[in-house]
Amino acid sequence: MSHLHIPDGVLPGWLVMAGWILTALILAFSIYRTRSTELKRKVPLIGIISALMIVCMTIPIVPIAYHINLSVIAGIILGPAVAFVSIFIVNLIIAMFGHGGITVVGLNTVVVGSEAFIGFYLFQLFLAIIGRDSIMWSSGLAAVIALMISTSILVGVVYLSRIDPATVIGIEGGHPAEVATEANIPSQLTKGINIKSFAKTILILLGIGWLLEGIITAFVIKYVSRVRPDLILPQRA
Amino acid sequence: MDVAIIDYYANNGTSFLHKAKALWKVVFTALVIASIILTNEFYMLLGIYITLVTIAVWTRLPVSRIITIAAYPAIFALIFAFAMWNGSWLKAGVIILKALTAALTMVVLIVTTPYPDVFNVLRPFLPRVIAEGLFVTYRSVFILLELTDELIKGLKVRGGLTHRKYLRNIRNFSSGIGLLLVKGFDYSEKFYGMMNVRGYGGRITTQGTKTSINRNDVLAIALGLLIFAITISTVIEKKVLEFGVYILLCSAVALVISSIYKQFQN
Repeated sequence: MSHLHIPDGVLPGWLVMAGWILTALILAFSIYRTRSTELKRKVPLIGIISALMIVCMTIPIVPIAYHINLSVIAGIILGPAVAFVSIFIVNLIIAMFGHGGITVVGLNTVVVGSEAFIGFYLFQLFLAIIGRDSIMWSSGLAAVIALMISTSILVGVVYLSRIDPATVIGIEGGHPAEVATEANIPSQLTKGINIKSFAKTILILLGIGWLLEGIITAFVIKYVSRVRPDLILPQRA
Repeated sequence: MDVAIIDYYANNGTSFLHKAKALWKVVFTALVIASIILTNEFYMLLGIYITLVTIAVWTRLPVSRIITIAAYPAIFALIFAFAMWNGSWLKAGVIILKALTAALTMVVLIVTTPYPDVFNVLRPFLPRVIAEGLFVTYRSVFILLELTDELIKGLKVRGGLTHRKYLRNIRNFSSGIGLLLVKGFDYSEKFYGMMNVRGYGGRITTQGTKTSINRNDVLAIALGLLIFAITISTVIEKKVLEFGVYILLCSAVALVISSIYKQFQN
């Protein structure tokens, strides 16, 4: 799980907009690709995988505030293009629970979508290198690496939010409420962030989560490969 | 996240907000979210939060439950506040309040509006596959929640989840998720078959969004506009912030009166 559980109004507007534009572009491409396959048949499958992701997100692992989100599994089962559509739906629905800001749905989709994308291709790569007998190791390793990269993207997004001075609005000017002045400007909220401290905290908390999600992904894919191997065929890409 | 409870609240409430149309409640939500984005004033955010709690009281739903549902993002906001810590409690408070207030806004919308109605409002702005994916996901969530409940009960009863056997627990739990996935896939195939029989041709038909206005809608929009107007005035004219304490006081008084009135009614 590398969700940006960032509240609305903390990240600068340009970054939020960039997230939405990027998501819109990837969605357009994904839908174009989905359309070329069999759109009608994909809708119920997208619904089921999205619902499964939401259900798994409702089971929090309390001490580390972590929840699994099955994005790599979605990537492996649906393929990266359809998985991206599914992840957008999941992010939109969980934002309605206040689970991350509604304005950061775009950025969240990019971050979590990257897990599905990277996870899918790494899984295929490991299968080719290690062999089909190691489906469990391939999926687990793919999940851990995909989560590491998506977490790095998350930290990168927060880092980016500090550097644009263009979003500073009304930074000067006599503010009557002195005590509240320092928290007055949207970009200032993230401008003061200690990126090292943030990255350390995130890496400690999510590091345990990567391993956990890697193990769960490995066992889930192992189970599915035994029961319904047709769901995990490379040509599904 | 308690999806089933939220759905129950949305479909069984009788408050003015439940009776208001989804479109105008989405407008109300957009206005409040815009206010939260625009302001970084602690007292203003606290005022909005208290106002939302007051509105939650007016919905006649369990307020503590609604607040709890909306409190989840505070955990991650705490990490942010910690990373940005520079000795200012106010700044940390702003970040946590932003998370709590935005979450409460969304939760107030979703506990008073059935999901399909919200999806209907969003439908014109979304590609067809996403709009339909939202409806199918919504339907599937409840089926999977029931299956998950049965699965966890089954695992516990058969000793699949036991103390101190963590790896075995993870393996069994993962196999359970795998089972859900396979069942879900089979279900999606059946669902597709059923949809075809019922004439599905790549488009799920829903009722259109109603745009007419009644007094409940007017009240919802008025509340949103009031919050937005006060916020924007504090952003444009900083002197208004001198009245911040009074704004806070007014929202607190409204909350107290509403709570007493609710108790009195009960």
